[in-house]
Amino acid sequence: MFNQPISRRESIKRIAGFSAAAAAWSWPSIAIPGQGASGRVVVVGGGFGGATAAKYLKRMAPELAVTLVEPNTRYITCPFTNLYLGGIRSFESLWHSYDELRQRYDVEVIHELATDVDVDGHTVELASGTRLAWDRLILSPGIDIRWNELDGYDEAAAEKAPHAWKPGDQSRLLRQQLAGMKQGGTFVLVAPDNPFRCPPGPYERVSMVAHYLKNHNPSAKVLLLDAKDGFSKQGLFMQGWAEHYGDMIEWVSRSNDGTVIRVDADRLEVETEFGMIHAADVLNVVPPQKAGFIADRAGVTDASGWVPVRPDTFASALVDDVYVIGDATQAAPMPKSGFIASTQGKVAARAIAAELTGRVLLPEPSWANTCYSLIAPEHGISIVGVYEVYNGQLREVPDSGGVSPMGADPLFRQLEAEYARGWYAAITQDVWGTPAS
Amino acid sequence: MRKIGIFAFSIPVLASALFWWSSGPAHSDPQWVDSEVEVIAGDVSAEELFEARVEVIAMSCAACHGTDGRLRTAIPAIAGRPEALLNLQLQSFKQDRVPGATVMPRIARAYSEEELQGLAAYFAALDP
Amino acid sequence: MQNIRLIAMMFGLLAIGFTEPVWGWQRIPEIQAVLAGTEPRMAGVRLEVPAVTQDGSSVPVTVTVDAPMRADAYVEAIHLFATRNPSPELAEYTLHPLLGRASLSTRIRLDQSQAVVALARTSDGEWLGAVESVRVTVSGCLSRAGTYTSDNHMQVRVRVPDRLRTGQVGEVRTMIQHPMETGLREDASGRVIPANIIEELHVKWDDQPVLRARWHRAMAANPYLLFSIAPAQSGALSMRWTEDTGATAEYRAAIEVRP
Repeated sequence: MFNQPISRRESIKRIAGFSAAAAAWSWPSIAIPGQGASGRVVVVGGGFGGATAAKYLKRMAPELAVTLVEPNTRYITCPFTNLYLGGIRSFESLWHSYDELRQRYDVEVIHELATDVDVDGHTVELASGTRLAWDRLILSPGIDIRWNELDGYDEAAAEKAPHAWKPGDQSRLLRQQLAGMKQGGTFVLVAPDNPFRCPPGPYERVSMVAHYLKNHNPSAKVLLLDAKDGFSKQGLFMQGWAEHYGDMIEWVSRSNDGTVIRVDADRLEVETEFGMIHAADVLNVVPPQKAGFIADRAGVTDASGWVPVRPDTFASALVDDVYVIGDATQAAPMPKSGFIASTQGKVAARAIAAELTGRVLLPEPSWANTCYSLIAPEHGISIVGVYEVYNGQLREVPDSGGVSPMGADPLFRQLEAEYARGWYAAITQDVWGTPAS
Repeated sequence: MRKIGIFAFSIPVLASALFWWSSGPAHSDPQWVDSEVEVIAGDVSAEELFEARVEVIAMSCAACHGTDGRLRTAIPAIAGRPEALLNLQLQSFKQDRVPGATVMPRIARAYSEEELQGLAAYFAALDP
Repeated sequence: MQNIRLIAMMFGLLAIGFTEPVWGWQRIPEIQAVLAGTEPRMAGVRLEVPAVTQDGSSVPVTVTVDAPMRADAYVEAIHLFATRNPSPELAEYTLHPLLGRASLSTRIRLDQSQAVVALARTSDGEWLGAVESVRVTVSGCLSRAGTYTSDNHMQVRVRVPDRLRTGQVGEVRTMIQHPMETGLREDASGRVIPANIIEELHVKWDDQPVLRARWHRAMAANPYLLFSIAPAQSGALSMRWTEDTGATAEYRAAIEVRP
């Protein structure tokens, strides 16, 4: 396991405080599932969660047959799409391939949409009609938009008022609209209530939009209409906005009638809860969300539209032998982030490797997450969370984690911006093997 | 050390007790209780569990330091660095004694001194 | 082997842990005082709360009673409780058939994961009830700063339909800017901030009282209430909020009703 130059036994000996005798190896005598444990794992979704799970499964248990089902031949990350919108990163730099998974880790990658799951028959059905059999299934389906949950916001409306919350053509459309916005125009971003993908995302987005406008359209305004009274890293964002963009960005909280209840994409207008109409020149609606549809097909979602999981392994709380990771899960206090999806993928992969091989130990789990946001190209902020299971539930490890300090100097902010770029290079290498760019 | 055992050991102990009490010899029926219990029920030493725990924590490190801690960006590579150096750095982060440190003190505080020492040994043992 | 799984879960070792216990609420003195010895029928009330919330300081709650709102048979009261808050009472509402529908939406504070209880009394004296659990997680990624500022203290926002057809049920949204200080919170210097809340919202249709809301300190800051109105002819809706200091805020709006 772990393509490393020393054996596992040797590495134990090196752990200070252990005598070599204490480390004498004996594989635990363990029951291996009887029913012809062929060790087939199918992973649906090739994003941060799914691609990581596939890779780490093969690293821990190369004898398992791992198939990754992902319709796109190139994955575009959500993280750093805001930098693309802000004009400080190319769109192509957000693309990642599945070559490393195929070539180095011997993962079978099938570029098709998974359309259905038969949890009793242990199969996944693909759009072509092919059925894949599995002993364990990992779903990492990300989010789907709840169309029409916000009155007037359907798929047609998204062509005029993009969400750009799933990267791709939507990101390009929003970028074009921003670049083409009239001088002195108003960019309106509609932010949803919790839970949603990437809690700091809307706030980094307006930061990057303001960065672009400051250089290209300095009399423009950014209006952020929010269905919440508070948001992730709020103090740091608001301090940074004032520092870099003066009063260009206006945040309207729920208590100040920020909740949007209707969208008119043809007129580029939104209506708030208490009847205020706001006109936009560019309208970016981040709509209410739910788990990706395949989770529903597998029967792992509950009434909330999200997926309850067993906290220690991320096995579905509702269906045996199915694991669910990433934004689709109800894993609060973990955020819906790419970083934590990847960490969840590793822990779930470890649990499955333990189950199917009987020789990988499953200790007390641990998950870490760091979310960087850029307020300006050289102004980064971060939030850290480390999570554990306590009394059968996920929680943040006490006295750890937290956000960047409020009073830090520009050098500290610059360093965190540099680390944000380093983090992006590292995590995309860890997940897809893409060389740092 | 203590902490590691509690979670993982309490389950097999109880589960085995329940098993013996109800249905005959161990492991004859793999369906007997939830799979995670089954996997760790067995002859496992505290050292093995500790090593496994360190491996699990180390997986999170890769998201910033690259797979196996081998990627060098603004964030340093950690694979193959001297164990004493890594250990000193991690313990210093935990004690918040590193000027200009950003995220590492917030991360290191989540782990015990032994776990950080285990991480230092783990990454030191990898090829750079 | 099912029973083994069950026993293991009772020990909490394999607990999935996304639901909170909902038993035991009948023994809470404040609830017993309201029920006065009667046994509620746990039916006919739909209580909508999020199963999991990342922000216990403002949890949306909607209560809908499946009962008519006619002059001769209607829902006359709705009570809300939070079983594990420092004080369980949340709100009491007195309703009139002119509301057209016994449905209210508001926002509450939950100190920790717990069960929320809604009880409704019909005009023939029957108690109906519902109980739902909410898991409250505190997420650093969603850590919030206080957004209340005193420069708009007791400013009200109301949305009332301009016109309705006879028999149509209209929706009324209300919110008043207020910190709803619990008296449990300390300021930066460690001094307890005294309790200061909006105690009551009184709604009249012309001269007829149609809704009275009595609020306790666990109602969320900036008290929000969504209710309905189904007037028979044109008239005016007036509202008065009363703070525990005696200070009031008022709002009045006409509604045109056409056949």
